[in-house]
Formats: sequence, C-alpha cells, structure tokens
Amino acid sequence: MRSIPNVAAVVTALLLVVGCQGLPSDSERLTERTAPVEYNSVVFTDYNLQRTWSDGLLGEGGRYRLSVERHGQRRTETGTTEVFAVIRNHTDADYTLEARTHFVDRDGVPTDADAVWKRFTASANGLTAYREYSTSDQPLQYRVEVREVR
Amino acid sequence: MTRFPLPAGAVRALVPFAAAALLAGCAGNQVENVAGTPTVYEDPETTGRVGGVGIESQDVVAMTDEMMRDMLRNRMLAGRDVPPRVIIDNAYLDNESSSVINTNQLTDRLRIELNRAANGRMVFVSRESADMVQQERDAKRDGVVDSGTIRETAAQAGADYRLRGRITSLDAVDRDSQTQSRYTQVTFEMVDLELGTIVWSGLYEMRKAAQDNVLYR
Repeated sequence: MRSIPNVAAVVTALLLVVGCQGLPSDSERLTERTAPVEYNSVVFTDYNLQRTWSDGLLGEGGRYRLSVERHGQRRTETGTTEVFAVIRNHTDADYTLEARTHFVDRDGVPTDADAVWKRFTASANGLTAYREYSTSDQPLQYRVEVREVR
Repeated sequence: MTRFPLPAGAVRALVPFAAAALLAGCAGNQVENVAGTPTVYEDPETTGRVGGVGIESQDVVAMTDEMMRDMLRNRMLAGRDVPPRVIIDNAYLDNESSSVINTNQLTDRLRIELNRAANGRMVFVSRESADMVQQERDAKRDGVVDSGTIRETAAQAGADYRLRGRITSLDAVDRDSQTQSRYTQVTFEMVDLELGTIVWSGLYEMRKAAQDNVLYR
C-alpha cells in the first residue's frame, strides 16, 4: 500500500509538468483563434510568438516570446496615416519578423491599398520599431499583424 | 510490480462518462485547424518553395509598396495644390548587382500602384509612350483622323520629376558549407527635371543567405 502515495506523487508531478508546458501554438483552444477582430490594435498571427488560453489544465495561461510595448498612429504632412508598433523581444535570439497593416475607415471598410508584409528583425532582448504608412489621406483605423518569417 | 485492478462495476460506471466526453468533444462550434488542399499557386508576397539569395517576388512587392507609401507622405510629391507631373520608368534604373532581374518589374509595379493610390495627387507622364502619342497627334493635325473628343494641346506634357535608381549587391560564399550570402541595396530617387535637385529618396536593403542552387532567369 506504500506505493499508492508514490503513484499519486508521480501523477501530480506529471500533471504539473503538463500544466506548465501549457497549450501548444497549434492548439484549437487558444483565445486568439476566435477573439473578435479589433481595430487600432497589434496582434501576433503566429501563435509561437504569443498565445493565451482560458481553459488550460490550471485555468488561464499564456506564453510569449515577443510583446508589443506600445503602438499608435498619427497624421503625416500630406494627411496620410502613420502607424507604429514597438516590439519587444524577450528571448536571447534574434527574430526575423514580418508585419502588415490593414487600414479601414471608421465603418470598418477596407479603403487603402492592399496590406503587404514588411520584413524586419527584432534583436535579442531588445526593442524594434515597425512603421507603416497609409496611401489614403482619410482618417483611418488600423490592425497590425505580426508573424515570424518562415 | 504491484497492480491495482479496477472492479468491473467501476469500469461499467465509467463507460457513460467516456461516451459523454467523446460526444462533447464532437459537439459545438470549434476551430478545425487543418491545412487546405495543396496548390501550384503561391503567394507572391512570401518566399515560395524555390528561394535563393536574389531579388524575388516578395522583395519586388515589399520594395515597391514601401516606396509608394513613402512617396505619398512626401509634401513635395503628394501635398501640392497643383499635382506634379512625374515619370516613373526604368530608363534610369540601373542594375549593377549580380541579381538577374527585369527592372521593369520594379518600375511598372511602382507606377501602377502609385497611380492607383495617388488618386490625382500626382500626374504620371508616360515617356515611353511618346512616339505612340506623337504618331496620333501628327495624324490628327494632318487630317488623317479627327481631333477626338478631348482638348488639343500645343505639345505633350513636360514632367517635373523623374525616377532614377540603382541596384547594387555584395556577394560572399562560405567555401566549406557552400552557403551563399548576398547583400542587395536598391536606391530610388526622384529628381527635379529643371533644377536637378533630389526631392525624395528611398532605400531598400536586404541580406539573404542560402545553400539552395537556385537559378534565376
């Protein structure tokens, strides 16, 4: 009967390890997969870079390699919109990223030129800035998507 | 090894729970995270199945898009009350790099995307169409054809600015691994055709390394 506590301990340890690993980036239960689309935001479409969940083994959780320090927009001299996002790399490795910005008008209608992926590097443990400009001189909202170059 | 067999009654009691769990897994509105059907088409914005160190489709798209957006935030090009007349073609875009590329791909995409996005903030002069236009003008003035439905002008449009640029590269090869690296720099400048001053500049640079034996044509 002494082995029963041992088995329980092993099972508990396994559960803890599994719980600590969290959900993988291809899990269907990640919050980001079904989160409503919001504008004036920056999102990681590559869930290896950042992911969260609410129904893991130990409840809510998340993993991140990169994060968004700040983002915003302002008007240029010609009235077009400049969007910026400052990305922080929390890892010891450089990440080659690509990002694109969807511009929509106040009604959420895409009005600008098609969004194109722009490549840049996030240095290890550093900050890097991504910038994009609209082609339209109308007031716009934005949604920046970031992923790792593959 | 000590075993703890479950009583048969306990197993029977677990069966309904297992069945319910299976059904619960199938029910509901869930994400189905599987890949679609393979296709021969590839997104020109991303590196496809064949990738090397040269200038590729994703570079052409990203480069021209970046230049277009940058030009449209320049006050001298896109903020004038009277839209400037510009020429964008490859007549003065020199490829001095080791990459094989038809420079028309760069200037054509840049001009077309810019023309669509500018929406009247710039006027584009087609200098490569000058002969074609002159031929029609002569025919109208000689009475071979009528004058058309729009105005007549004393001459074809003169331009305010013209694009010029240069593609250069720096190659390196690791003799042990045969990995090839290429740093490519593409410059664009919009030149004032009266003063010779540069009113806008753009730079696109990249460095790629690959072992693939890719042949560009």
